Amino acid sequence: MKSYLSLIPISARMHRRQNRMTLSCIIFSVFLVTAIFTLADMGIRMERIRLLEKHEGLTMQDMAGTTMGQTLFPIAALLSVLILFAGVLMISGSINSNVAQRTRFFGMMRCIGMSKKQIILFVRLEALNWCRTAIPTGVVLGTAASWAACAGLRFLVREEFSQIPLFGVSPTGIASGSIMGVLTVLIAAGAPARRASRVSPVTAVSGNAYTSSPVHRAAGTRFLPIETSLGIHHAVSARKNLLLMTGSFALSIILFLSFSVLVDCVQYLMPQLSSTPDLHISADSGGNSVDGTLAENLRHIDGVGQVYGRRSAFGLPMRTAEDASVQSCDLISFDEYDLDCLAKDGLLKRGSKISKVYGDSGCVLAVLSEDSLLEPGDKIWIGEEELEIAGLLKYDLFSSDGSAGDTVTLIASGDTFTRLTGASGYSLLMVQLDRNAGDETVEKVRQAVPDQYAFHDDRGQSTAGTYTAFLFCVYGFLLIIALVAALNIINSISMSVSARAEQYSAMRAVGMDERQIAGMIAAEAFTYACSGYATGCAAGLLLHRSLYRILIETHFPQAAYAFPAASLLIILLFVAGSTAAAVYGPVKRVCQCSVITGTWGQ
Amino acid sequence: MDILKVEKVSKTYGSGEAAVHALRNVSFTVPKGEFTVIVGESGSGKSTLLNIIGALDTPSAGRVYVDGKDIFKMKDQNRTVFRRRNIGFIFQSFNLIPELTVEQNMMFPVLLDHQKPDRRYLEELLGALHLTERRAHLPGQLSGGQQQRAAIGRALITRPALILADEPTGNLDSRNTNEVIALLKQASRKYEQTIVMITHSRSIAQTADRILQVSDGHLTDLGRCRE
Repeated sequence: MKSYLSLIPISARMHRRQNRMTLSCIIFSVFLVTAIFTLADMGIRMERIRLLEKHEGLTMQDMAGTTMGQTLFPIAALLSVLILFAGVLMISGSINSNVAQRTRFFGMMRCIGMSKKQIILFVRLEALNWCRTAIPTGVVLGTAASWAACAGLRFLVREEFSQIPLFGVSPTGIASGSIMGVLTVLIAAGAPARRASRVSPVTAVSGNAYTSSPVHRAAGTRFLPIETSLGIHHAVSARKNLLLMTGSFALSIILFLSFSVLVDCVQYLMPQLSSTPDLHISADSGGNSVDGTLAENLRHIDGVGQVYGRRSAFGLPMRTAEDASVQSCDLISFDEYDLDCLAKDGLLKRGSKISKVYGDSGCVLAVLSEDSLLEPGDKIWIGEEELEIAGLLKYDLFSSDGSAGDTVTLIASGDTFTRLTGASGYSLLMVQLDRNAGDETVEKVRQAVPDQYAFHDDRGQSTAGTYTAFLFCVYGFLLIIALVAALNIINSISMSVSARAEQYSAMRAVGMDERQIAGMIAAEAFTYACSGYATGCAAGLLLHRSLYRILIETHFPQAAYAFPAASLLIILLFVAGSTAAAVYGPVKRVCQCSVITGTWGQ
Repeated sequence: MDILKVEKVSKTYGSGEAAVHALRNVSFTVPKGEFTVIVGESGSGKSTLLNIIGALDTPSAGRVYVDGKDIFKMKDQNRTVFRRRNIGFIFQSFNLIPELTVEQNMMFPVLLDHQKPDRRYLEELLGALHLTERRAHLPGQLSGGQQQRAAIGRALITRPALILADEPTGNLDSRNTNEVIALLKQASRKYEQTIVMITHSRSIAQTADRILQVSDGHLTDLGRCRE
């Protein structure tokens, strides 16, 4: 040993198991930053390839000026700052836990002459020592994850991501991950290092390593089993920790609920309907003049998935049972696939029976304005033909803001439409391509379409790629927040259990069994979780309602607020899952630990 | 009637050349109501013996019967419950639960069993241990002697067959030491409690019914003091 600092690698080898959590936290932070910056870099490279095809001799300086260049790196930087905060929180908790487990060791170090400054340096260097393995691992994992994400974007999302590089290595990503790793560790080690330096040398000789703050209130043991009462008391008595844990969970829940409104909002802005066509054919002359046989011809072309059409008749005279006066309505026909999509996309109001609409039937679906009195089951008449309203659509698919005007719009099957109007041709023919179909298929379709019809390629207008990328970012971000909350509770419980290791040994010695130990630790963890869940849901639901009103209801009048029960259930499962995970390790550790350790105070 | 029977117990830590024989073929019995003291040098194996008797540690060989039951034939969960009901522990560092009052700490083993504590017996113990006034205090608000008395109360609450104490006066001054030992002996008489205690103090050892000495893992019965 050259100096006392030579103890660091020796100690790291000895405590490899205990250090696993801290290492995981550092790896996780480095992994996230590397993955985010590598992805941003790949995005820039993709944009460069795309632009180079258009303009030769493009330089990186030109690239920095593009919208994507100006957007991606600032987003990556913002996310990195968030990760820095989250990382500091995680790693700090983890190093704290590590220090708490070695209180007696630090007491002994102080006892044999290590100064407070030397202890601080020791803990900081120990943390940096972990970076030696954690940073390369995080960088490798981050790069590999970015490759997987690029592959997902390229092969699953496709669209505008079809040119994203697959196995790119990003110096920016690697440098950012490494720098962020060191920075996070240095900041995170600060508080635990000071805490370690404050350990009294007396702890080494007194055997009293448990240096908790004095207890002022006794645990209530009247109503609950003793182990549950003690667990809850452990959580509630550490007020600062309770606040931190409640805040950590609540923040995740609030963000989750807020982002779910954002996802809803984007769904309204970019509705992803199953019936969205890749190509469409319309009659130049208007009316239902597209020949029905064209649909059959197109179906036989390789790479064509679905072909379906719509017919329309406007201003038909309509009467209702309540109102004998004649009013005007629009009638639109949907082929079977189109009707299937309505049901699949959940566009029908509750009580609708779409099965009645298929084939030559006496039933139609209706798009009604808010003040209409018609309901499913009501009868209407078009001319002498009696029709039943089998269902209602949630909003008007044919208007830009989804709100239905004064005119009633009815949707019938193709056969019903032909029976009512006599028209068998289409006004609009839509084509969906197979996933592997390319320009060749489009060209074949174009050639099959007679000149009197207008052919439109809608693939460029598809928002599916942008929508998926948006979801990818939102859920990625939520995952980070959720993982931070999970790691926080894991750390916190681990730390609390470490600090009470001797107390648990004594409890086991006087007869507490493993099930009761598990119950006590679980009660502590679930107190944090319940407090966080209640606070998060209360604040999150208020915010959720307000955001829904501001972002959606004011712009989309047809939007109806629904209580986010599914989201709350997902959150509940996540909170329960992470809490159970937090309990598992410490319980195992306590139960594996010999009862005699620390029991007799020797 | 023998409440404790230790039969050819050996304990070896490690193996091969690194093997440490903490106990070698130890056998003895303790009859009901006897106050036995174990003495020995540090590292002689006396704490290992106490850990094994208390089912906190397992022997490498041999059997231990408490109240006629072979405690190492039991499953781990059953052994814990047996320990809770039949063996009381008194530790050198008290090991009271800081979040519980004196009364709650004393009731702790009964509450672990999800039983209702016998209030009359609890009151009697509080009185006998001079803790009635301090019943609602937390351990942090008590002196060392008072904490150890509360620990004795916790050991007595289940009316165990056997009480094990490892240097219970190690952290106490002489006045509290005398008080605690007197209380232990009084309990031993009054409640017919069998006590096995480790001590380094020659004077305390002299007051016991019987002294056992452990040296290099071997046990020697030094006989009954007051006979």
